[in-house]
Amino acid sequence: MDAGVISLVLFALLLSLLASGLWVAPTLLAVGFVALAGFSSAPAGSLLASTVWDASWNWALTALPLFVWMGEILFRTRLSSDMFNGLAPWVARLPGGLLHVNIVGCGVMAAVAGSSAVTCATVGRMSMPELRRRGYDETLAIGTLAGSGTLGLLIPPSIMLIVYGVVAQQSISRLFIAGIAPGILIICIFMAYVMVRAKLNPALAPDAGPRTTFMDKLRASRLLFPVMGLIMAVLGSIYGGYATPTEAATVGVVGALVLAHLTGSLTRASFIESLMGAVRTSCMIAFILAGAAFMSIAMGFTGVPRVLASYVDAWQLSPGMLILLLTILYIFLGCFLDGVSMMVLTAAVVLPMVQAAGIDLLWFGIFTVIVVEMAQITPPVGFNLFVLQSMTGRDLLQVTKAAAPFFVLMLLSILFISVFPNFILWPVQYMVQ
Amino acid sequence: MRRALDRLYLWSGYLAAAFLAAIAVTIIGQIVGRFFSVAIDSTETAGFCLAASTFFGIAYTYRESAHIRVTLFVRLARGSLRRYLSLWAVGMFALMIGYLTYWSFDLVYFSYKFNDISPGLLAIPFWIPRSAMALGALTLTIALIDEFVCLLRGLPATFDAAELDTAPADLKEAL
Repeated sequence: MDAGVISLVLFALLLSLLASGLWVAPTLLAVGFVALAGFSSAPAGSLLASTVWDASWNWALTALPLFVWMGEILFRTRLSSDMFNGLAPWVARLPGGLLHVNIVGCGVMAAVAGSSAVTCATVGRMSMPELRRRGYDETLAIGTLAGSGTLGLLIPPSIMLIVYGVVAQQSISRLFIAGIAPGILIICIFMAYVMVRAKLNPALAPDAGPRTTFMDKLRASRLLFPVMGLIMAVLGSIYGGYATPTEAATVGVVGALVLAHLTGSLTRASFIESLMGAVRTSCMIAFILAGAAFMSIAMGFTGVPRVLASYVDAWQLSPGMLILLLTILYIFLGCFLDGVSMMVLTAAVVLPMVQAAGIDLLWFGIFTVIVVEMAQITPPVGFNLFVLQSMTGRDLLQVTKAAAPFFVLMLLSILFISVFPNFILWPVQYMVQ
Repeated sequence: MRRALDRLYLWSGYLAAAFLAAIAVTIIGQIVGRFFSVAIDSTETAGFCLAASTFFGIAYTYRESAHIRVTLFVRLARGSLRRYLSLWAVGMFALMIGYLTYWSFDLVYFSYKFNDISPGLLAIPFWIPRSAMALGALTLTIALIDEFVCLLRGLPATFDAAELDTAPADLKEAL
């Protein structure tokens, strides 16, 4: 059978199984099974067991549960409740005032939590009541939260980048370092947008709060600095070539346990709860990755990825055109899939195409994560939208409208990194290997 | 029976947690070893702990409704249609994992028979870590058959409650 037809059949099967409510991991296994049993002569059963096994004890993947665990521990400290008071004095004087707490707070929380919905919920829970009380514009408050909440996916140590590194076989260290600059870029773009809006209409952000001394500011954020210090130590050890991501993650876990102990939030119960939380998240992701590894091998046997990659040549797709098409595809998929599934489902087919077009896979990883971030705030399935919906009691349409400008701002950042790819690639060149 | 099964899922979850912590412990061993210039290579042991953690945790994660699926359309279904959709999803899941379980035991058996040994310094016989995969997959198969039977008897699915608000477990906690 023609590879084009096979790919259509498998794609239709994949979508209908997902839509029928079958879980993502067994869907991947089922599609892989049909590809092997239906369109190749390879032994499906023994390939299944050996591929799933190989994908499950991957060294690169060992960083994943550890970073998830670190986040779970820090998440259970007083960090989240201290976030608002800790950041407020630093940003209160900027135009837009405390709205910046949402953006910077999400930026810090993102480094800790690694999941966008949790980032959004944790920061929002503290800041929304405060902002409402002071008469801030609710639409802008919701928008900043929705937009910056997604930073959790990009700002390292990011679970999403580990997942990409594993499926695309790229160095996770390099991906982490590459993720820093665009993360800061997006924070700056969001802050600039809020400042402009607040300058044009000061009524959006009425109350800046009292003037505080430098010492007061330091005292208010005494818990924030150790956490930021820990994150910087983790990233610094990777950047300096002192540690692999797994080792850095272990240091992060130990540091987080020490911090939790010092702030008095480390109990037997919270320790076990953090560990079980890490099991749930990392098990879910590792299972999907194992399924994806099998589907990817099965696809290879059918020859579909090779044929699709050759279309890139045949249609004379320029890298720019391909990126544009993929952006549209991902935004469409993001309307009903979560980030990890989206990235993993498309990898087997998309990565060979991207390589054929001569696009750097490191750059492409950052690109994908930003597009997946955008997908978190597109209806009908946008996890950040759901969080904000239940937090504010507004309907989905209002929350989506509030988030829309931030969607456009992220598109802008994609345009920026497409025009200046070195913005991502340059810091990586100075890493100690 | 019910209590025994629930205990099986929970304790396999605890076992997964122990293996997750064991990843960190082996890595600490490697880092400390480096300070005293003792070569401890944790690459393999950490990988084996990861695989064990994943597979022992897989049934527990299922019972906690933390595996991901698209609920966009399923959520719209009510009454008996919803029940049939749940039966279909759980049944398909059980078939796939049952198949995986069978071939995992096959893999364990042949790694034992042909004395397949890991390439690292420790040279661990592969059948030991691979047993974790087979046992974990078996536990999930049991959990899925358990769920399927419960659905047939007209009980609500374990994932129904968690999916009503479509939020993952840790998220609900955050809210």
